[in-house]
Amino acid sequence: MKSSAKQLRREAEWPPEEGEVISFECSTGPETAILKQVRWGLVWRDFILVDGRVIPEHRISDCPQPRVWRKISEVTDHEREECEERLLSMARAGMDPRERDQSFWAELTQYLAYTYLRFKQAGSKVQDVER
Amino acid sequence: MIPSDEETEEQQAWRVLSEAGLVEIRLDEFAERIRDVKRIVTVRLRELLDLNGGTKERESAAYSLGTLKELELKVNAPTPVDPSEM
Repeated sequence: MKSSAKQLRREAEWPPEEGEVISFECSTGPETAILKQVRWGLVWRDFILVDGRVIPEHRISDCPQPRVWRKISEVTDHEREECEERLLSMARAGMDPRERDQSFWAELTQYLAYTYLRFKQAGSKVQDVER
Repeated sequence: MIPSDEETEEQQAWRVLSEAGLVEIRLDEFAERIRDVKRIVTVRLRELLDLNGGTKERESAAYSLGTLKELELKVNAPTPVDPSEM
């Protein structure tokens, strides 16, 4: 009972605000840091920390369930094109996308997820119609 | 356990991406995941060309493919050496 009340409070106050300390999972284990900003990506929300790292919402401890993700159809052409331009700019500027939890890594991860869902779903719809 | 036909769109997206290894990409799997996504885009592009329709989607798929190819080259490039370590 106590835990569900805590969960309800957590959901009501979600997402945390700028300046709050958040806990999350990183490659070396659990960690805490100060939140700078919460920003929607193409699929999920990213939590940007004051040290510049970008943590996807699903890695934040106590993230309410079910997760809130965007529908692929909600992403505009303009938004997708801007994301593609940013990715190419970062690649051409010599940034390394393999630096985990950095902005290039975070943006590329979301772009791959979005592109996969977008074209897989579109392909499935065609197959459904053809059946 | 919720039956798959009662899955919400978000749950379905999570399952599809998890199965494809695209929710949490391990650093040593980035190149492979990009190839997987390129494959999906290529399949869709072929469908669109066969159907001879969806000009806007076709152009967008071709652009996505080009973007992915450039990013793949970047991911496959040798890791930059830190000059301070030389």
